Amino acid sequence: MAENTATRKIRHRGRFEQIGIYLVKFMRLFVYQNDWKVLPMSIVIAGLVSLVVRRDFFVTMEGTLKGALALSCIAIWNGFFNSIQVVCREREIIKREHRSGLHISSYIVSHMLYQALLCLVQTVLTIYTCKMMGIKFPTEGLFTSWMMLDVGITVFLISYSADMISLWISTLVHNTTTAMSIMPFILIAQLVFSGGIFQLPAWSDGISKLMISHYGVRCIAAQADYNNRPMVTAWNTLVKMENNDIEVAYTLDELMVMLKDDQEDAAVKLLSADGVGQKIVEILKGKNVDREVIINAIIDVIKSDPRYEEIKDKKFTIFKVKIKDVIDAIGREKVRDYLQYKTAQVTQNPDYAMTESNILRMWLAFVAFIVMFSSLSIVCLEFIDKDKR
Amino acid sequence: MYFNADVKSWYDILLFLLTGSTGWYSILGILQIAGLYLIFKKSGIKPFWAFVPFARLYRLAECADREEEGRILSISSFLLFVINVLGDYIESSLLATITLFAILALVVIELVYEIRVCAGLVEVYKTKKIWIVAWVIVGSLTSFYWGVSKKLNPSMKVEDFRKDAIEMASGRHIINKMDKGLAVGLQERTVMEFFHKKYLLRDINFYIKPGRMVLLLGGSGAGKTTLLNAIIGYEKADAEVILNGTNVYEKYRKMIYEVGFVPQQNLIRGKDTIEHTLLDTAKLRLPSNVNAKERKARVNEVMDIFGLTPSKTHFVDKLSGGQKRRLSIAMELLSNPSLFILDEPDSGLDGVMARELMTQLRSIADQGKIVIVITHTPDRVIDLFDDVIVLAKDSHRTGRLAFFGEIGEARAFFEKESMEKIVQSINSTSVGGDGRADEFVLKFATEQNKEVANG
Repeated sequence: MAENTATRKIRHRGRFEQIGIYLVKFMRLFVYQNDWKVLPMSIVIAGLVSLVVRRDFFVTMEGTLKGALALSCIAIWNGFFNSIQVVCREREIIKREHRSGLHISSYIVSHMLYQALLCLVQTVLTIYTCKMMGIKFPTEGLFTSWMMLDVGITVFLISYSADMISLWISTLVHNTTTAMSIMPFILIAQLVFSGGIFQLPAWSDGISKLMISHYGVRCIAAQADYNNRPMVTAWNTLVKMENNDIEVAYTLDELMVMLKDDQEDAAVKLLSADGVGQKIVEILKGKNVDREVIINAIIDVIKSDPRYEEIKDKKFTIFKVKIKDVIDAIGREKVRDYLQYKTAQVTQNPDYAMTESNILRMWLAFVAFIVMFSSLSIVCLEFIDKDKR
Repeated sequence: MYFNADVKSWYDILLFLLTGSTGWYSILGILQIAGLYLIFKKSGIKPFWAFVPFARLYRLAECADREEEGRILSISSFLLFVINVLGDYIESSLLATITLFAILALVVIELVYEIRVCAGLVEVYKTKKIWIVAWVIVGSLTSFYWGVSKKLNPSMKVEDFRKDAIEMASGRHIINKMDKGLAVGLQERTVMEFFHKKYLLRDINFYIKPGRMVLLLGGSGAGKTTLLNAIIGYEKADAEVILNGTNVYEKYRKMIYEVGFVPQQNLIRGKDTIEHTLLDTAKLRLPSNVNAKERKARVNEVMDIFGLTPSKTHFVDKLSGGQKRRLSIAMELLSNPSLFILDEPDSGLDGVMARELMTQLRSIADQGKIVIVITHTPDRVIDLFDDVIVLAKDSHRTGRLAFFGEIGEARAFFEKESMEKIVQSINSTSVGGDGRADEFVLKFATEQNKEVANG
């Protein structure tokens, strides 16, 4: 056989057939090489995060944004961990197989297929865990009949994009130690530049747009109808303060200035208020004050009184009322609805609009990430033979 | 030491590039260039490199036998220069802060690598270590002194290979007439090392008949693995390699199935079984028209040859060192290649196991295949080999052919009884050898040239 091999037209397995060989191999190694551990890990992470966000996710604006970031982070974490070591840990083996006829593109494509399956299973587990942990997904989605499926597609795409980025990193670095040292930096960058939680400076816009988390947070927030959720921060703060008093107090000196500023109506009202009114009445007692020039006369009388210097800096309560009483007076629900509506209105963001075009735009961004980084992986690994010995 | 200057104008930049300094310091820079000019001359490097900014640092590191350090030193110096020049145009406070950190980092890197290069210089010039301090603090004056001093001379030279006096046979005479076996005509195998071409191998020509088991002998770093990679076309050289009448380089994708290369390490996935490993390899290496039944039969056959059948369901991780080596060889044997190359197949094996393995390789060679083996313990199995290729690292640190021929001829050529003694005679004195590589390279080249002249 050997002697004639060079001269006869002998066909060996092409790229397409090699994909199958490696896909089966990876599936086998999934069981024996402990790669299966990423599945329970995704359940644990989803469970822990759900504990924190389950109450307000899909309920309020703040909860939805927090939940969107958390879900994006879970997906990114899963994706990164799936493939960060897969190539670099067997770099030398790939080199050997490459010189035995392995096509690098087949190797990467089989990894892509295998990782896609892994991400799919992780997505199902993550969404199911979130549901079990009490996150209430709205029933109907924008693209499908189930919101869970809509969100699931996004989580899968985020996870798979992250997976392709770390696959690329894995093709670049030469050992697992380097790969694991790089990963935290990438994760932190994804978290910080997501724009979901931290207010980002203008210069970081470009960087943010290179992050999967940027699109992940926006996509999930849009699917969760962020813009039409109530914003509860202001109302909650008000409720926390409802036993506090609203108090208006001035010093006598300040009052004099106010009176001079032609605020006669207000001044007269103030004079009739408790505390300060009594003091002024005391001063005015026995004085002959012409009603027509009442304000100036009052000021003159008060300022000429010897006690004025003693009490001019003392504060007098003009008005005092409990916040709760004000809320109750207007109507609790009315105040709450008004506050939640008004604050939500100013927080609405066109990036989070629950429209098909908006969500499709984000999904396309993920597809672009996937295509770009998987192609880069192939290109980088093609240079494996150039490794310095 | 070299480029710590404040660059403000184009005049400064020019002066800086020429002398490595600005202002009055450029006088010191001129002294330094003069010193480097003379040092390069002493070390066998073309002295004009002293005038080339940044590259002269790499060249100086070459004189110190510290090429890697020289590369980093010249890159960091270049970056420092660029940052120095651009620094004046930076207005943003954030960028200025980042620049400051970058400068600090680069200065530290430059200093560390400068010390390493100076330490290398001190070693090569076999002088006192206190000179390192002098180089770091007053590098210009020190380099000038080292350049002019007749007492300070390098113990090692970096010479230009083009001036090499040893003329070798071209190897074309071997290539043209062979349609069976392996003919190798390698002119050179080089890599670009920063500012110059580094020769890894030169003038290696030989022809191996089918059915021969060949020992590849050579000291550490002589280029044995490089030669094997060049033969199989994995690392291309300026060479022609003809296997059974087919040019390996021209038909590389086809010829990879004709060559079995067993690497030094057992590069096999540990969590796969022997059988799965071999079946997957068979799918890759056997022609696609071989059906599953035939494939399985071939896998079973190879497992039988190497005694792996009883443990075929075992994970590779659980196998002994010897079993792993045998599996590694079995993977390559599956496609029945006509050229079989093994890089230290007996490493980590005891004498009995090594002998057993080599006997198996002998039987493969007896089937009409060429088997080339690198081993560091050749004498215990030398009776199994037909020929020996002796590679030697010459005084330019390039791998050269010191001998190719039958085992008995090798003993006579080197006047040594054992293969290990041959290796010792060609190894450099720095590793405990006799340092006779150049002598044997020249001797063998002369003999080859005579053979060519005689037709």
